Amino acid sequence: MEESKLLLLLLPVFIIQLGLMIFALVDLIKIPYTNGPKWMWGVIIVVVNIIGPILYFVIGRRNY
Amino acid sequence: MNQFGVLLKKEWRENLRNYKIFWIPAVFILLGIMEPVSNYFLPQILDSVGNLPEGTVLEFPVPEPEQVMAAIMGQYQLLGLLILVLAYMGTIAGERKSGTATLLYARPLSFSAYFISKWVMAQIIALLSVWLGFLVGYYYTYLLFGSIDIMNLLRFVFTYSLWVLLVISIVLAASAWMPNAGLAAAASLGIIIISQVVDSLLGTYWPISPLKLSVYAASWFENGPDMADFWWSAGLAVVLIAFLLLLGIFISSRKAASTKV
Repeated sequence: MEESKLLLLLLPVFIIQLGLMIFALVDLIKIPYTNGPKWMWGVIIVVVNIIGPILYFVIGRRNY
Repeated sequence: MNQFGVLLKKEWRENLRNYKIFWIPAVFILLGIMEPVSNYFLPQILDSVGNLPEGTVLEFPVPEPEQVMAAIMGQYQLLGLLILVLAYMGTIAGERKSGTATLLYARPLSFSAYFISKWVMAQIIALLSVWLGFLVGYYYTYLLFGSIDIMNLLRFVFTYSLWVLLVISIVLAASAWMPNAGLAAAASLGIIIISQVVDSLLGTYWPISPLKLSVYAASWFENGPDMADFWWSAGLAVVLIAFLLLLGIFISSRKAASTKV
């Protein structure tokens, strides 16, 4: 039973993670250019859990 | 006042479009969830990945709910502050580089309205993130470990909020001062980390220090901080924040000429 309880507890984490990923991908598609190749950021956002989208927002996205 | 309103609206739109209003709270909420959950499942986690020899018996004391909240704060002290610094390092330095600043500086701009609008928006997002993170974190702590006296919890959150206000003020002043975003981040992280190290090494000699606000925040769960020390530290933090605000306004007007076209 412990395993299903853990999954239930972590459900919001997965939802937030998915939300971050979607926001990052939508932004990546809309933005004209990033720091480094665009396809690389696409891979990082999808493959690296949680940290991928955050890295994209902090480093990859050209805010300036 | 009108100019301030316009600039604040610009800041709001900017934070909406670069998704800061979404991802910064998301990070704090994630940290707030992970800490209680991983504390609760620590024995199982060690069991499955700990590589412990067969038959090892480890007795873990179940942490108090207060300790879990303090652990969430520990995460914010490390990762949360790093995220905040990196997110806001470019607020002014980056704007100068991108050319947005040229558009602004070419107009009769009130630099106090300019700096304060940025300060207010950054603080709103930072505090919102920290509060949401603590709220969700407390919800999990409540489910898994038990409840905390609500007054102590509020005191804890507000004391920590004051520290967050100070950190954001440091970041924005550094961003106004430094030529680019990277240096602004390095300067503010350097100031925050070095002063914390010095304070934790030699800090026993001075109980009054804004750097101890996080320690005082956690001590609300025990006997509470020494009231005089606490209020002096809080007062000093407020004075520092006001000083950094004035400094930021002054520097951003002085360095307006360094804008790239």
